[in-house]
Amino acid sequence: MLGGSFLGDARDRLLPAAIPFRFFAAAAVFYVLAWAVLLAASDLPDFTGGLGPVLAAIHLLTLGVLAMVAMGASFQLLPVATRQPLARTWPASLCFWLLSGGTVLLAFGMAEGASLAMNSGAISVTIALLIFATLTADNLRRARGLPVVAAHGWVALIALLGVVGLGLALSFDFQHGFLADHQAMALLHMLLALFGFMGVLALGFSLILVPMFALSQTPPPRLGGLQLALAFLALIFVTGAVLSGIAWLFWPGIAAAMAATGIYLWQMQHVLKSGMRKRLGLSFRLIRTSWVTLPIAWLLGLVILLDLPFPNAPVGFGFVVLVGWLLTFLLGVLQRIIPFLASMHIVDENGQPVLMSDLTPELPLQVHAGLHGVAVLLCLAGIFLQSGVLVQIGAAAGLTGALAYAGFVISVSLRVFNATGSKSANG
Amino acid sequence: MGLPGKHWQEPDGWHIDVRGLVSPEPMVAILGRIETVDQDGTITVHHDREPIYLYPELAERGWQHRIVDSDAGEVRLILTRQP
Repeated sequence: MLGGSFLGDARDRLLPAAIPFRFFAAAAVFYVLAWAVLLAASDLPDFTGGLGPVLAAIHLLTLGVLAMVAMGASFQLLPVATRQPLARTWPASLCFWLLSGGTVLLAFGMAEGASLAMNSGAISVTIALLIFATLTADNLRRARGLPVVAAHGWVALIALLGVVGLGLALSFDFQHGFLADHQAMALLHMLLALFGFMGVLALGFSLILVPMFALSQTPPPRLGGLQLALAFLALIFVTGAVLSGIAWLFWPGIAAAMAATGIYLWQMQHVLKSGMRKRLGLSFRLIRTSWVTLPIAWLLGLVILLDLPFPNAPVGFGFVVLVGWLLTFLLGVLQRIIPFLASMHIVDENGQPVLMSDLTPELPLQVHAGLHGVAVLLCLAGIFLQSGVLVQIGAAAGLTGALAYAGFVISVSLRVFNATGSKSANG
Repeated sequence: MGLPGKHWQEPDGWHIDVRGLVSPEPMVAILGRIETVDQDGTITVHHDREPIYLYPELAERGWQHRIVDSDAGEVRLILTRQP
């Protein structure tokens, strides 16, 4: 007997290509926009929060790129990993429109100090993230196997609830001023977004994706569990520190976070060392670079806690975490999964699947990787030397690299849209 | 590194049973076995679901798959090199 129901299940888990690729193409556009806005703004080294182009650029990256890719990738990869299809696909499409439209409005409102646009954008983004959380929670609830990865997903979703609640309150607080301590809530919003939501999601997905790319066995679940427990503990301590104002609570928080990072990096190192695939390509140069920036972030965190006389350590810390770690990691992963997913949807003139390697143009990706590295270094130098000009030169490099990356993402996405469009047109 | 799953040889070639393994272990087992098989060899995979993410990796390595009749609860694939 042919395992008909099993085959049907498998196809159900593969979303229509337009859904994930819409998210990926939009993320590439927001990536370009984020660098463009940062190029126009020269005040990143002086950033202490508040409305303006820097805050807009940050949200173009966090919502437009990180959350956008996290959604697109989760909607596509999670059902395959958990062996449970998404309950419905239309909410995923709705998420896309709400998140992309909301991010444009929010970023415009932040850059221009336009409350109506900012609050409308915040509401739209909040709804998108809540729909995403509901769909993901429903999928995780039905997950078979992978308990450690699913547990990472649950912690990320809990953090996401805090992020969206605080984000919405902060947006309206700019106009109405009802929060007792806007800056503290902004700090908590940032910590939960970067470490709680995106960070834990990155740690969890790494446990599946890195072994898959390196063709290695997955790390022992107890290590993944310990990594998550420490990350969760760190989140509880820093949340307690911000809410209570008890500064020493940051210390156990950063200690737990450093321990979680150590376990994570050890596992990743072990996976790569024991993997059958040794030549991992350009995408892994980005992923490895992102891992190098994590200990640097914690060093800067210690500098901040010890109140050492290091110029602009808080801005440097935020930049290293957001751009050095999360963005670099995610760009590396995206660069690897886009050709992988696209090759399942595109066939050549002989009806054969197009190879992943034919969908991975070397030159634009090499240009991007090089310029991304230059951009991170120059922007960091600009932050520490308090030079707006250096940041702008870095942003110009970042923008040029982002254009090369967007060219890759959009060209592959268009091939997918054309292939799947013509398939539907042909019935 | 030992490959996950059960691997054995029969007159028709290698067989791999990856049922019950979690992602990405089935893919690791299958692609790892492919590296060891000679030019005319075939691999029969006993799976509990269709491994849709395996196909791009197979194509990249010059392999093709076909799904054949199997027992209830099993998806059976025959892997061969592309001509």
